[in-house]
Amino acid sequence: MLAYKFDWGVLWRQPYGEWLLQGLWLTIQLGALAWVIALSLGILFGTLRSVRFWPLRILGALYVEIFRNIPFLVQLFFWFYAGPMLLGKTLQFKINQISGLNYYIAIFGLGLYTASRVAEHVRAGFASIGHGQYDAVLSTGMTRLQMYWYVMIPHALRLIIPPLTTEFLTIFKNSAVAMTIGVAETTFMSYKIDEQTFHGLEATTGAMAIYLALGMTVVKLMDLIETRFRIPGLMSR
Amino acid sequence: MIEIKNVSKWFGEFQVLADVNEVVQRGQKVVICGPSGSGKSTLLRCINGLEPYQKGEIIVDGVSLSDPKTNLYKLREKLGMVFQRFELYPHMTVLRNITLAPMKVRKKSRQEAEKKAMELLDRVGIPDKAGAYPANLSGGQQQRVAIARALAMEPACMMFDEPTSALDPEMIQEVLEVMIGLAKEGMTMLVVTHEMGFAREVADEIIFMDAGRIVERGRGDEFFKNPKSQRTKDFMGQILK
Amino acid sequence: MDAVLKNLPYLLGGFLTNLQLAAFALAGGIFLGALVGLGRISKRPWVYYPVTLYVNFLRNIPLILVIFWFFFVMPILVGKTMDPFVSAAVSFVVFEATYFGEIFRAGFQSISKDLVSAAYSTGLTYRQTAAYILVPIAVKRMLPSLITQSIITFQDTSLAYVIGLQEMVRRTTIVDGLEVRSVQLYTFVAILFFVICFVGSRISLHYEEKSRKAKVL
Repeated sequence: MLAYKFDWGVLWRQPYGEWLLQGLWLTIQLGALAWVIALSLGILFGTLRSVRFWPLRILGALYVEIFRNIPFLVQLFFWFYAGPMLLGKTLQFKINQISGLNYYIAIFGLGLYTASRVAEHVRAGFASIGHGQYDAVLSTGMTRLQMYWYVMIPHALRLIIPPLTTEFLTIFKNSAVAMTIGVAETTFMSYKIDEQTFHGLEATTGAMAIYLALGMTVVKLMDLIETRFRIPGLMSR
Repeated sequence: MIEIKNVSKWFGEFQVLADVNEVVQRGQKVVICGPSGSGKSTLLRCINGLEPYQKGEIIVDGVSLSDPKTNLYKLREKLGMVFQRFELYPHMTVLRNITLAPMKVRKKSRQEAEKKAMELLDRVGIPDKAGAYPANLSGGQQQRVAIARALAMEPACMMFDEPTSALDPEMIQEVLEVMIGLAKEGMTMLVVTHEMGFAREVADEIIFMDAGRIVERGRGDEFFKNPKSQRTKDFMGQILK
Repeated sequence: MDAVLKNLPYLLGGFLTNLQLAAFALAGGIFLGALVGLGRISKRPWVYYPVTLYVNFLRNIPLILVIFWFFFVMPILVGKTMDPFVSAAVSFVVFEATYFGEIFRAGFQSISKDLVSAAYSTGLTYRQTAAYILVPIAVKRMLPSLITQSIITFQDTSLAYVIGLQEMVRRTTIVDGLEVRSVQLYTFVAILFFVICFVGSRISLHYEEKSRKAKVL
């Protein structure tokens, strides 16, 4: 065993402690903002996969399959390195001038990736709502669009709160990948602490504690949401 | 060979067995009957150590189950058990179901084990099903395989937990016939069942259990003709309709 | 496509590393996962609580962080600097075992208690019952989930990038640094992963359909 002197002080000594907290703040931002994108797009594509009009179903399926079968890291690198190039020379130049570009791309990429997973849960949610509901709503004269917006989507969302909780947790975990494009979130900071102090073990352990605390908070939050929006009479808990 | 002395068992607050006493001699056939929840199945499972008991003692062939030094695995080899839902291993062929334990526990060779297995399959009447999977067999066939599987370990006593309760009526007879055959060959048997015809023909002793207690016991016909307690009378009235 | 073709052997060599890492991760992760699954259904508290703690702990932490953590920890334990491949392999086995463990647990819990009793009643020991009855049945029943998780594990090998492993993503960034043909290169690596994972997910669906139709096990 290497003679290693533990230095747990790195976790709260300035400036390192502050770095970790700043990292946490960024992790929260990344997760929360990407979640908004993931939910919106996920509901959209999940609905597309469930409609009767088959071209839309194929579109939805294509989206999900593409974003689910490519590792998130690869997706992120694609958007960050290759993305701007896709926009043509002038736009590319402008985009690369934006400070904090990696931050925006991270949120964008994370949202897009997670949306494909949310879409699958939404689709499952629709599938578990019996056909009777569709017929009942349509028979009141609502258009399909209205039906989805006012009835189906809210219903499906409540049904899928448990898997959505898992995805919400996962989004915070995946936010750590953003460190690879230089976003100064929690994991990035723990690595940076190692660069400065060579006490990466303590730093990463501290980061683990941060993610644990974050995870428990998210679960508690989703629990509250589930209770608040529970559908009475269904075997949900 | 089996002695049950003042055995009591609780599941939390609920008492499942209360002061059960019984002695089963070698070669005896004992039938246990009673309403559901009376503790019959639990009693069987206590005898081969699948369930623990809190009070009393169970001694099998001189070995006490209460003794912490007792090797439960060795003990179970002496007691074959057949379950209500057959419980054949779904991912193995009939032959493999039967040969698994002899090969892994008794360390028999594949040839030896398979030879014995085929003999047993013959005995229960379905040698042609050796290569089939349980899912392809009828309930009656599956139960007969289950009996063969238990017999493969050459037990000194066979315990049956409602072996025909999950079978369609047409198939009950084929299983009972195998069991009667076993009885005639002198196997010690402990059978929990509602099949009173079988009990009449085969049992040396019939026990009626209710709410964890042995309410009444008797020998063969005497039991059926003159049940002593009211509870027994009621129950027998129900099932002999 | 020229940048890709020019560097094809180099890039594919990296891809091979991903496959190798995945192979180790799966072998170790699935084996350990079966043990973890058994631990999660154990009645012995000294087994159940530590295993449950381990599973719940690791499932809340990003894999990247776990990879870093092992990268820092292993030199201390072993006494010399570590090959990134070994460090990554260990991280993956420990991490993925928690996910495989939960899959195995679901499989074990679907097996009726009486089936286990039947096995015990023929004299089989716990170890034998677990090895010949519990694990094979759980694998057969959970095959689609096991395949899906394996695909996820394969995708996760890209994360070994962060400790400098010469796998495909790292090599792609290296080539990109030289050639700056980013669109080509990253599309190529994306397609490569996509093909493998898509095929894998189809296989998983196939088994899911098969078991849904058969319903025998």
